[in-house]
Amino acid sequence: MSDYIKVCDVEKYYGNGQNVTKAVDRVSFSVEKGEFVGIMGASGSGKTTLLNMLAAIDRVTAGHIYYENTDITELSEDGLSQFRKHNLGFVFQEYNLLDTLTMEENIELALTLQGWDKKAIQKACGQVLELLQIEDVRGKFPYQVSGGQKQRCACARAIVNHPKLLLADEPTGALDSRSAQTLLETFTELNQTMGATILMVTHDAFSASYCGRILFLKDGKIFHELVRGEKHRNLFLQEVLDVLSLTGGEMSHAR
Amino acid sequence: MLGKLSVRNMKRSARDYMVYILTMTIVAALMYAFSSLITQNKVEAYFEVEPIMEVMIGLATFFILLIVAWLINYMVRFMLEKRSSEFGLYLLLGMKKKTVSRLYMRENLLLGGAALAAGILLGILLQQVLWAVMFAMVRLEYHLSVSFDKWNLLMTGACYGGCYLLALLRCKGKFRKMNIRDLMDAKRLNEEVKEHREKAKRIWLPLSILFILLFWALLGKLSNTGELALFLISLVATIYLFYRGLSAWIICYVRKKGSAIYKGHRLFLLRQFASKIRTMQFTMGTLTALFTLALMGASVALMFSEYENTVLKEKFPFDTQIYSSDTAETFADEKNLIEKTAGPAQCFSYRIYTDGKTQVNTWMLTHLKAWGTIYRETDGAPNRDKIQKELDSDACCYYAKDTYMGLADYNHLRGMLGYEEVALEQDEYLLQVKPRLEEEVQGIGADLRLKTAEGRGFLSCAGIRAEPFSQDGHNGADYMIVVPDKVLERMEPYYSELAVDLQGEAPSGLQGQLERQMDLDDEETSGYGDSDLCPGSDTIISFSAYVLVRDDLISEVKYMLASLIIPLFYIGLVFVCVAVTVLSVQQLSDSAKYKFRYDVLAKLGMGQRERGRLVLKQLAAYYLCPALLAMVISGKMILFISGRFVELTGVPAFAGEFFGKTILLFFSIYLVYFAVTYVSFKRNVEEHG
Repeated sequence: MSDYIKVCDVEKYYGNGQNVTKAVDRVSFSVEKGEFVGIMGASGSGKTTLLNMLAAIDRVTAGHIYYENTDITELSEDGLSQFRKHNLGFVFQEYNLLDTLTMEENIELALTLQGWDKKAIQKACGQVLELLQIEDVRGKFPYQVSGGQKQRCACARAIVNHPKLLLADEPTGALDSRSAQTLLETFTELNQTMGATILMVTHDAFSASYCGRILFLKDGKIFHELVRGEKHRNLFLQEVLDVLSLTGGEMSHAR
Repeated sequence: MLGKLSVRNMKRSARDYMVYILTMTIVAALMYAFSSLITQNKVEAYFEVEPIMEVMIGLATFFILLIVAWLINYMVRFMLEKRSSEFGLYLLLGMKKKTVSRLYMRENLLLGGAALAAGILLGILLQQVLWAVMFAMVRLEYHLSVSFDKWNLLMTGACYGGCYLLALLRCKGKFRKMNIRDLMDAKRLNEEVKEHREKAKRIWLPLSILFILLFWALLGKLSNTGELALFLISLVATIYLFYRGLSAWIICYVRKKGSAIYKGHRLFLLRQFASKIRTMQFTMGTLTALFTLALMGASVALMFSEYENTVLKEKFPFDTQIYSSDTAETFADEKNLIEKTAGPAQCFSYRIYTDGKTQVNTWMLTHLKAWGTIYRETDGAPNRDKIQKELDSDACCYYAKDTYMGLADYNHLRGMLGYEEVALEQDEYLLQVKPRLEEEVQGIGADLRLKTAEGRGFLSCAGIRAEPFSQDGHNGADYMIVVPDKVLERMEPYYSELAVDLQGEAPSGLQGQLERQMDLDDEETSGYGDSDLCPGSDTIISFSAYVLVRDDLISEVKYMLASLIIPLFYIGLVFVCVAVTVLSVQQLSDSAKYKFRYDVLAKLGMGQRERGRLVLKQLAAYYLCPALLAMVISGKMILFISGRFVELTGVPAFAGEFFGKTILLFFSIYLVYFAVTYVSFKRNVEEHG
């Protein structure tokens, strides 16, 4: 149990009787503390389902997911909520910011829900706004700022309470290339300077090239794994593209 | 294809706007049932009264139509706004604007038609209940008869259809002006939270609270219509500006990072609440006004119904009573008629006397709460000229001279009513008053100077009696001074009275027969407001008729009261339903937006039970806000009105009672709508996919 996060033989089926779809089929892997892991796959390969199970939003059909010593597949509904609140941070493609709250309040809300006190909330919030360089739009509503700023805000909300794991689902999907790059650089910085553990789902090779390790998913199974090591990002990107081209037409629409 | 589309869309709208359809059905049912009181009034035939019920229901229907027209118009526009991107898509696919607008019209007419049809079916049922209640109120026997009146149907249909057409025509104009881009963008525009100059707008909250406090303090002290009108206009403005101020206040508080927002779910709730109120401040104001009117209508109805159940019985203690200004009247013909039609009866004729003075009348005019300070000088002394002028006028509430009765007659009458006899010394008198005046006349003994039989000394007050004693002009107006028979020797007879104790119930129509016997059936003297009779200080409901036949009158008065009570309840009921519907629809139609918000909260780690609680809190705040404001405003008015009502009619209740009962009634309707909204809201928010 030395692994930080351990996924053991996880399966997820949809439907019943004759009509069973295996979204995730006996997937096992583990994530070390401070790792930046990417999961790649075409649409329908089961990557979002896997992420949802890791995020404790969806339940597994079989298998176990351990966060250090906690098996989240054994937790009750309320237990899962508590676990999510204190251990996980999320960044989604659609930002998922509340439109009635300002940027700053969106971040504060996450902390209020965890019962932090006013001073601590304001301090943490100020730091993270500064870290992600969105201080100047802190009082603005989500509809008043750009997509990149919204995503950085979502990111700030996700990391403000130093979660065990930051989960990102296609975080660059709705961003222009410039904003996407800034966000990915932010992820790298969070990973390297703050030691944040990040798991990112993407079908974009450019985004994936920022990760330290990439798991390739196809039809619900892991079929390949790439480790960046000390390689330069451009070289790693090339490797990713090679893997994608190997899989043929199926993934060709990914880039 | 378009037909199919509109039917499908209608089905979807019916599901999304269930509460609206429900209310429209209820309103149609109420309208059908109540308008049957106009088109086929079966009770009226029993009474010789003006068509007061028709007029009142007609008036109520008019106001209800205004509100229903508003609701339909609101809903049609609301649905249009919510579905604008869908309509944009239709246009994009190449449909003509005319086709789209016709499609929307057809959908709405289908929806309205379905609600109307269901409403009329329910209405036929409700009509039976209403008639049964009505007949029970006036103590007539009711036979169930399901009838399908085409005039009634036509009237309900026309009212309903008119409202719909009006709303749809307005929408048509809107369609003509729209272009695809606007339609596609319309939805997005709704979601923007516009905040500017919040600090300045904040001032409206303390101002409106200040005005409401002022309103509580000053309502009873307004003296003329000009002031009252000004006050009411400011009140309406206050209701609308309150919400503007409230949302600005919350927004500023949140922006200032007040400590409260860091506890529990308050940040989310406050923001949610402020933004909702901000976008619909005008609607909220209108809803508050509707609630206020509904609460007031219902509580006034309750007051009259309480009156009907308590005081009315006491108003006619004798089975029959007849007045005559002829002091030599023996009532021989009337006694004959009564015994002929109603069988053997105990008849007692007697005289009311006067000493020709006005000191008791003056005391009453200057001391009773009903008259306030009208008949006093500024220093508190009686305004003799004004009092004399009043007592001499034909329309005065008191007889021109004080009224007296001999002890023997008094005890005989008490015997007829089953009260115990009273005894008086030769130098004593006693005062018999209406039950409600008992408290107010406690001090009279010290003020009156009534001479003894010999005319040398003064009588002393032996006490005050306040049993029901028919004192609306028959046994005096408000009061009767009872003196030993010897004292009467120096007085002169004033008028004559006949009191009758029947063995069974009075035969129906005895009142009319007696009036005809006395030649009273011409317009000027029959019925209410007989000019010689003085009813005393009853101002809200007063009776003065030469002939009182209890069993006839109670039914008739009850019918007249029902003409007030039923329309008031009708208005109250419809107003509350309409207002709560708007509240519910507002919340439910936004549930897609809320679903997203609650999903985000779930992802942030909020458990399902916690989210359920949050939904409850959010809805409760939203539902309670207009209700509470309406309660604060109407509360003062109701307390004021019911205070006066209790004072002037002697209903044995305290003023707050009516308010309490109204609130109870109001919240039971409220709770039903709240529960329906809560359940569907929660389902919408939690539903997967």
